[in-house]
Amino acid sequence: MSRDTALRIAAYGLAIAVSAFFVFPYLWMISASFKSTEAILTEPLQLIPDSLSFKAYRDIAVMSGVGLGTYVWNSLWITLASTVITLLSTGFGAYALYRAPKLPGFGLLRVGFLLVIMYPYMLLVMPVYLVMFKLGLLGTVTGIILFLSVGPIQFFLFEQFFRSIPREVIEAARMDRASETRILFRVVAPMARPVVVTVTLITILLNWAQWFPILVISRSTDTYTLPVALLSLNSELGVNFQGIMALATLTTLPVILVYLATQKYVIEGMISGAVKG
Amino acid sequence: MTTRANAPSVSVLARRWLGENATFYLFAAPFAALTIVMGLWPIALSIQTSFTESYTALSPQPTYVGFANYIEVFGDPVFTKSAWLTLRYTVLAVVLNLVIALFYAMFLSSVLLSRGAWIFKLCCFLPVVTPDVAGYIVWKWMYSGDFGAVNAALTALGLPEFGGVSQVSTVTLAILIAEMWYHVGFYVVIFLANFAMLDRTLDEAAHLDKAGFWRKFTRVTLPQLRPAITINSIYALIQFLKTFTVVVVITKGGPGTATNFVSYYAYRQFDQAQYGTATAMATILFSVIMVLAFALYWYNQRRDWR
Amino acid sequence: MKLKALLAGTTLALGGSMAMAEELVIWHDLGDNGINWFAEAGEAFKKMHPDVTVKSVSFPTDQWYGKSIAALNTNTAPDLLYNNYERVIRVVDQTGKVMDLSDVFAGMADTGFLSEADLNVARYDGNMIILPVQRVQMGFGARKSWLEAVGEDFPETWEDVQRVSAKFIAEDPDGNGKDDTYGLALEAANPRDLIHMLDLYTFGAGLRHTLIDGAGEIVIDEPKHKQVLVEFLKTFTDYGYVSPDTVTHSFPEMYQVIEGGRAGMFRVGDWNVKKWDGADVLNGDFLVGEWPQHFDDVDNAVVIGGMRGVAVPDNAPNKDMAIEFAKFLLSVEAQQASLNNVGAAVRGDFALDGLSERRLVFAQPAHNLNAYDFPESVHAFYPELEADFHRELLEVLVDPQDDWGAYVDALAERMRAKRDSLK
Repeated sequence: MSRDTALRIAAYGLAIAVSAFFVFPYLWMISASFKSTEAILTEPLQLIPDSLSFKAYRDIAVMSGVGLGTYVWNSLWITLASTVITLLSTGFGAYALYRAPKLPGFGLLRVGFLLVIMYPYMLLVMPVYLVMFKLGLLGTVTGIILFLSVGPIQFFLFEQFFRSIPREVIEAARMDRASETRILFRVVAPMARPVVVTVTLITILLNWAQWFPILVISRSTDTYTLPVALLSLNSELGVNFQGIMALATLTTLPVILVYLATQKYVIEGMISGAVKG
Repeated sequence: MTTRANAPSVSVLARRWLGENATFYLFAAPFAALTIVMGLWPIALSIQTSFTESYTALSPQPTYVGFANYIEVFGDPVFTKSAWLTLRYTVLAVVLNLVIALFYAMFLSSVLLSRGAWIFKLCCFLPVVTPDVAGYIVWKWMYSGDFGAVNAALTALGLPEFGGVSQVSTVTLAILIAEMWYHVGFYVVIFLANFAMLDRTLDEAAHLDKAGFWRKFTRVTLPQLRPAITINSIYALIQFLKTFTVVVVITKGGPGTATNFVSYYAYRQFDQAQYGTATAMATILFSVIMVLAFALYWYNQRRDWR
Repeated sequence: MKLKALLAGTTLALGGSMAMAEELVIWHDLGDNGINWFAEAGEAFKKMHPDVTVKSVSFPTDQWYGKSIAALNTNTAPDLLYNNYERVIRVVDQTGKVMDLSDVFAGMADTGFLSEADLNVARYDGNMIILPVQRVQMGFGARKSWLEAVGEDFPETWEDVQRVSAKFIAEDPDGNGKDDTYGLALEAANPRDLIHMLDLYTFGAGLRHTLIDGAGEIVIDEPKHKQVLVEFLKTFTDYGYVSPDTVTHSFPEMYQVIEGGRAGMFRVGDWNVKKWDGADVLNGDFLVGEWPQHFDDVDNAVVIGGMRGVAVPDNAPNKDMAIEFAKFLLSVEAQQASLNNVGAAVRGDFALDGLSERRLVFAQPAHNLNAYDFPESVHAFYPELEADFHRELLEVLVDPQDDWGAYVDALAERMRAKRDSLK
């Protein structure tokens, strides 16, 4: 075996070991959700249980008097609705601020937005309770959706995309006296498909994971999403470890699937969002 | 174009200007509304509340107490300790994450892994996109001394047990590891993007120079990685100064007050109706983050590395 | 801020699905047992008030605090709050918006089952802040099969507990061939967890106060108190009877240790028994009794940790109906449902057939009872003093002392100084 091959094998060995560190918690989680209490206590490292137990999944069918279906539905609906609103508001917003940065008020808006995304998020959520109260949105799904629609990096992703459009393309359209609406929908929008896909995916992933604003704005467990339900599964009356792992699995698995299917968009989107921000 | 004519009159120009800009205002309106109502307004409320007495803070006519809450916060030994803990943790976390991310990215972009690298990249980025609550809950139980995987693995390898999150001496390391698991993939990926843009000819030149690895690394590679280092350090600084979810899920600030970071402490205060001091702490943390972010941004602009 | 008005308008239109008939909302932390109880009680209440529905929402305790306090402060309160007396006190302290139920209670006919002592655990600062609905009783429990395995009887004294602990740790009482068992399950993640355990040790041993007495004197360095406190601290440290993780354990983790069969002796609340009798959990494999005896001349006891009761916020949306339902929770019907679903009640004038031996321990007490003293109802400065006390104890648990006696003496002096500064 040549020195080169040996090095290669060693390198792959190391990379696999490091990757195992990242992946193991997921495997452990999934495995624990199918194990019996006894198996967990005696063989914490065994990943493939001797027998499959679905009890944990039956146990979480109803949590705090609310059916699992409600949590799943809340997660889906809140994630999708806030993603659509984020997409529209930051897309159009970034376009307007890019095309006409000098318009009165737009400079202020940009600075204001920068302040908002710099403010420690969990500390922003506390006064949001008051805002929701003043708007009459406390405890409503509408309130949750609107708050989640203020996204941090989506604006930058759009802005970066608009900056990449050659000036001449828009200038040409302006020469033809096309209206601004027409320019946006006929000239810019057709080119925007990749950025829209990226922003959509990233927003879905970010909003699916949200928990703190939802916890704060909710006034009953009826508006909890999966991560919040997961956090609330501990109570003074006892704990169901397997149930927690089962719910963690349900919370994580959809995201993993979306990620695996679309990894290129997601990773590149995150990079360009960060590079810009 | 029917009226091909003389120079358009002022009123026509004005109307056209308005027409175009009305569209832009319309486009920006939802974004502005959300930013103001869900962002700036709560920030303003929070700052306002920090100058009121907690007991009256939420009533229609709050009592304003000037800087009393800030004085109380800075005089509170728990807060001072919490601020130092937060700083120490942030420095540790930023250095650890960036150094490890840098070397792992270098490793992944080396020729040794040419074809398989993408799958390893995929693995380390996986936690970044999954819900943090779920990830930390799993870590919490993996650290459990009673049936967690961490100690079971250590025992199986014949190593001493790890105190995990139950001992003051190990809790910082334990949550550093859990947070690194969650965040480091992001920094790795940013470094990888930068590595892909490296100028290989400089490498060659260094090779011809017979420069040692370390010399090559510090003289040739690092300077070219400045964009990634800047981005990563800004993100990491802000990220770890705000450390919150991991504390809520795993340690609740303990053992003792070993992980009682500022954001968690402020949240606890808010939960116990200490609105004045809680928002004062929030405002302090906000100011620190803002100063840091602007300093880094300014430093970044001045160098103009792009 | 036109935007604000606009947004409020649109969302009002969107959120128009608000309740039509009267709906009473009650916030508690009793989980599914509580939800079932309130559902049953709500059904019974409907017979008298057909257009009223009762909706109960169960939050984890931490969330219950945060939400209740914020809601009362912003006039977004639910109709009723349900929780332990001392927790409602904190809501009172931080909102000042809990209704005084004295007149309501005075107007009720059938209340003879509540003693004067019970009622003391309902009044705060001259007001009746809750109607007491469930006595909170907490006994000491031990795994029956483990005791048999190591040849011991139910531990009566602290010496017994120490001996049994050592055996539980050393003799593999669950027979799984692993060195993975502990003597006791306690908790100490938060100040509240710690004080809860210390209260059980102290009142269970028959003492009357944890930190200060009715006259405001610090008692922790009096011989008996000192002895209990030192033994308590040593349980976590020198003795190592508990899992080393205990300093980060709150209720969920403590329950995991108990239900997962890692510790053989533990607290048993009246509300735990129903679940632990169940086949999936301990399957009834435990005995319940009084807390261990520390002194020959003081009787040990099952601890009454106060009362759970129902409170009505001053700003409850349906206040009159809320009061009606609060009163209804003391009726025979609601009380029987409470015992069946939650395991506790304040009335005893109904059938107790079919309850397990362990549940009868609480339903028909035949042993010593010792109740919390609630110094916060007498001394306004107590919560702050207590917070300092807990902070000190939490820090010392992870920083064990060589001479615990001297530590307690010094701590007592610091507490006196703190008390004087607060008075």
